[in-house]
Amino acid sequence: MQEKICDIRSDATGFNALAALSEKAKALLFEKVDLDFQDCTFFEANMAAPFYAVLTKYYEGMNVVTPTNIRSDIRTILQKNRFLCELGFCELHDSNQTTLPFKRFKLTSGEQFSDYLDQYMHDRGIPKMSDGLAKKFRQSLFEIFQNATQHSQSEQGIFVCGQFFPKQHRLDFTIADAGIGIRENVRRFWKNEKINSCQAITWALQGANTTRQNQPGGLGLKLIKDFLRLNRGKLLIVSRYGFYEFSASGESCRKLKHDFPGTCVNIELNTNDMNRYTLKSELTSSDIF
Amino acid sequence: MREKVIIRVIDTIGSNLCIASEDGQKVFDKTVPLLQTGKHVVISFDGVSMLISLFLNAAIGQLYGQFSEEEIREHLEVTGLAGDDMEILQRVVENAKRYYTNPEKYDKVWATLEGEDEE
Repeated sequence: MQEKICDIRSDATGFNALAALSEKAKALLFEKVDLDFQDCTFFEANMAAPFYAVLTKYYEGMNVVTPTNIRSDIRTILQKNRFLCELGFCELHDSNQTTLPFKRFKLTSGEQFSDYLDQYMHDRGIPKMSDGLAKKFRQSLFEIFQNATQHSQSEQGIFVCGQFFPKQHRLDFTIADAGIGIRENVRRFWKNEKINSCQAITWALQGANTTRQNQPGGLGLKLIKDFLRLNRGKLLIVSRYGFYEFSASGESCRKLKHDFPGTCVNIELNTNDMNRYTLKSELTSSDIF
Repeated sequence: MREKVIIRVIDTIGSNLCIASEDGQKVFDKTVPLLQTGKHVVISFDGVSMLISLFLNAAIGQLYGQFSEEEIREHLEVTGLAGDDMEILQRVVENAKRYYTNPEKYDKVWATLEGEDEE
C-alpha cells in the first residue's frame, strides 16, 4: 500500500498531516507501506522528530515502511541530519554543519542528551551565541527533554532533531515522543475523561500546575515562555489533538483534525538576540528562603 | 557558632548535571535528616554545569512540605550557583511556598470540566 506525504512544516498543516498519517497506521498489521514523497516539495528538517513518532505507530504493527520518490534536495537534508539513515539510507556529510542530527534516546538518557548537545552545539555552523543565551537555550531543552522522560510513557523513547536557518537567524529544536500525551496525564490527575487536549495543555502551562503527586513542580514551561518572550522566539506544543503556539505577540491553542500520537515540543530560538542573560544577581540564600 | 554541614551536590548525585528529579530526591533525602536534627546545612552546587527547575523542585522545593519557612531560612544555605540560577531557585521556592500553602488541588473546576469531544 501507499501513503502520500505532502509538505511538512512546523505548523498546524504539517502536524495535521503527520497526525493523519499516524491514524492510518492503526488498522495495519504486517503490511509493506510505501511513503510516497512525490508531492512533498518542502520538509523542515527538525520535523523529522515528530515524523519518527508517527513511524513508530507503523512499527508497532510490524509494518515495513519505505520512503519513495523523495526529491533530491529533501533527501539530501534528511540524509545529512541522519533521519533517513533510520530508513536504510546512507548518511551524508553535513558540510555546512547546520543540523543537529536526528537521534532517538531512551527515557533514562538525560546524560546522553547532554553529550549530544555538547557535541553538536559547539564549533559547528550553529551560530555563535552569547554564553548566557546558549545556557538558557540548553536549560530549556533539558526541561522539555526531562519532562518527556517523566510524563510521556513513550516505550519507543524520545526523538530529537534540530536545524539552524542562518538567513532567518532561527534555530529550531524539536523534541517528540510517542507517548500518552499531556491530555492523558491531566485526565488521570483530575480523574476526568472529558478534558480535551487544548484544555490539558492550557492547564499544564498555568502557574505551578503539575501532574506529579505530592511535589511542587510545573515551572519548566513557564520559565521557557519567559525566556522566549525576551528572546522573541517561539514555542510550539503539539499533543494529541492540541496545537499550541506561543510567541511574544501572543498565544493560542486550536484543535487538530487528527490525533497526533504523543507530544512534540518545538523551540524556535532567535539567534540574533543581543540580550544579556548572565545576570550578576545579588540574590543570596536569605533573600530566597 | 553552629557547625555547618556541607552537602556537595555533584558528590551526592555522581554527576555535574542537575537535571533529573530522582537526583534532586537524593539531595532532599540527605538534607532532611540533617535539618531535623537542627544542623545548619549548606547545599553546595560547586562544579555543577547544568541546573533545571525539575531538579530544584525535588531537591529544595519539597523541603517546604516538611519544614516551616522560618526553619529553612535559619538552617539552610546554598552556594555555588550563578546569578541566573539563583533566580531559578527563587522561582522554585516561591512556587513551593504557594504549593504547600494550599496543597489541596485548587481550581477544582477541572475535575468536572467538559471539553469538546475527542476520541
